[in-house]
Amino acid sequence: MDLAVRSVSKRYKNHTIIEDISFDVGPRELVSIVGPSGVGKTTLLKIIACLDTPDTGRVIYSEPLSKKHPVIIVFQDYVLFPSMTVKDNVGFGLKARHMKKKQITEQVDRMLVYFQLTRQAEQYPAQLSAGQKQRVAIARAMIVNPAVLLLDEPFANLDRNLKMETARFIRSTQQEFGIPTISVTHDLEEAFAMSDRIGILLDKRLQQFDTPRQVYFNSVSRKVAQFLGPVNLIPEQHLSLFQGSRDPAAPASDKPVMARPENLVMTEDANGSGRIADKTFAGHYTVYSVAIESHAYTVYSQDDRFAVGAQVNLQITPY
Amino acid sequence: MSWTNNRAGRLVSGLAPLLLPYLVLFCGGIMLTICQSFGVFTPLPHAGAALDAYAKILTDPAFFSSFGFSLGVAMVSAFCTMAAGTFLAYQVWQLPAKLATAALIYKIPLILPHISVAFVVLVFWSPSGIVASIAHSLGIIQTMQDFPNILYSGWGLGMVLAYTLKGTPFAMLLVLALLVRFDVRQIQTAAMLGASGVRIFFSIVLPRMAPAMHTSFIILFLYGFGAFDIPFVLGESRPGMLSIHVYNLYFKHDLARRPEAMAILTMMFFFAVIFIIAYSKTVQRLENGVRKL
Repeated sequence: MDLAVRSVSKRYKNHTIIEDISFDVGPRELVSIVGPSGVGKTTLLKIIACLDTPDTGRVIYSEPLSKKHPVIIVFQDYVLFPSMTVKDNVGFGLKARHMKKKQITEQVDRMLVYFQLTRQAEQYPAQLSAGQKQRVAIARAMIVNPAVLLLDEPFANLDRNLKMETARFIRSTQQEFGIPTISVTHDLEEAFAMSDRIGILLDKRLQQFDTPRQVYFNSVSRKVAQFLGPVNLIPEQHLSLFQGSRDPAAPASDKPVMARPENLVMTEDANGSGRIADKTFAGHYTVYSVAIESHAYTVYSQDDRFAVGAQVNLQITPY
Repeated sequence: MSWTNNRAGRLVSGLAPLLLPYLVLFCGGIMLTICQSFGVFTPLPHAGAALDAYAKILTDPAFFSSFGFSLGVAMVSAFCTMAAGTFLAYQVWQLPAKLATAALIYKIPLILPHISVAFVVLVFWSPSGIVASIAHSLGIIQTMQDFPNILYSGWGLGMVLAYTLKGTPFAMLLVLALLVRFDVRQIQTAAMLGASGVRIFFSIVLPRMAPAMHTSFIILFLYGFGAFDIPFVLGESRPGMLSIHVYNLYFKHDLARRPEAMAILTMMFFFAVIFIIAYSKTVQRLENGVRKL
């Protein structure tokens, strides 16, 4: 199963929520739509899940959706059935399909083992942690072999140290079950870690849709680049000061060149064009602020030996 | 310690306007009823033993048939009311916002006194009532006698109808209060997982409404069991409702039979207490887990 979103727009009371959204999701692909809160990510997800209708455009599924192969959305707060145990929550979809009790038990048990929920089988949702609730919600969705799985802010209710682990878990689960998955989130790192492709939803429109590396290092606009993280804007007149930055064959441009802090490399040089103005320890890397004329450039480096005031040269390295 | 005493004193004095009527009227009334059932503080000096009234009642087959009849009418009417209230509340909850506002009309029977509802049932369902007239106009019946005796069939149907009509909006009110906080995404999720409307109602919505349903059932059952006004208009004599039995003993017989009336009231009171405890315990056991929410 694959799906295509074509020119989807939605308005509420004369207020445009999303406009002209188009992208494809291939079979076995995990796609993340990222954007700030309130940009219309959940509206888009509801349209894909057929819980809402677009004003214009449509969502095309390669195979018709059916009760056997539905689109399932896992909501931000999981929406587990509070009066059912974990086991009953997970088996709900199979019961709804009138499957035999023995088959349900077998499948549910397998799912509980895969999602590491065997010990919680008889517990109620109110007794679970956020991470466990999420696993129950995904297990409940996966057990019915959905045509498409939609995840609404899958990391919103998780502790910071649990987010990346969950992203990896979602990735491996998605690969294991081979179900096309769309996740909407504003957690960038996790989206980068688990997605095959990422869409950037800004100003009601999908600004860029590409692989995580491409979106991050070759953002289509300054706005997209800045949304995804710190970026240096290098003006044309400074480019000659950055070693290896100019392709002699490339035509001159008025637009500044964008370079991520991790794409800038420093070398100490008494005659260097830049001077280290500031230095901040940030755990697994050090953030340097390098002044060239009136501009300040941010550089991430794992090398902590540069001192404030030292003269340095900067070089742009391709990712 | 004195701070605690002062605080408790202030609390009691603050609650006094509520506590005093409760103590004097309710607790005092119960105590007087119990005393009179034992022949103490009766209008006429009681000559027999303290438990004479209880002995007389508990050896009277008419009491047991009245008790059984009252129990049946109360049980059926409470169940019908709860079921109708729950079903209608669910329907109203699903209406679009504009229609839901219009549906507030369901609250009208709430403001009607029970006696009025009894007369409404009488006017509609008696052999000379509106339903019979319509049936006659449509040619379904030829004479009044052809119309089925719904009100006085010996099954208490008239009372059940009146209690259901009066109690349904009350049950709806309680259930709707829970439904307005119900997360509609639970229904969407269940539907996405392939559940039918019936399964969604029984597996997802009903457990959510259960606390309001139990509360309304207890209140409606106990009211139906002990109320006087509706049985006075729509009740039957053989067997009659217990409340009518008590009324007759209290007002229409010798003052010497006052202890019997009070003994029945005392037993009805303790039955109500035992019923509430037993029902709540049963529900708690059945809903073990849901209560952990």
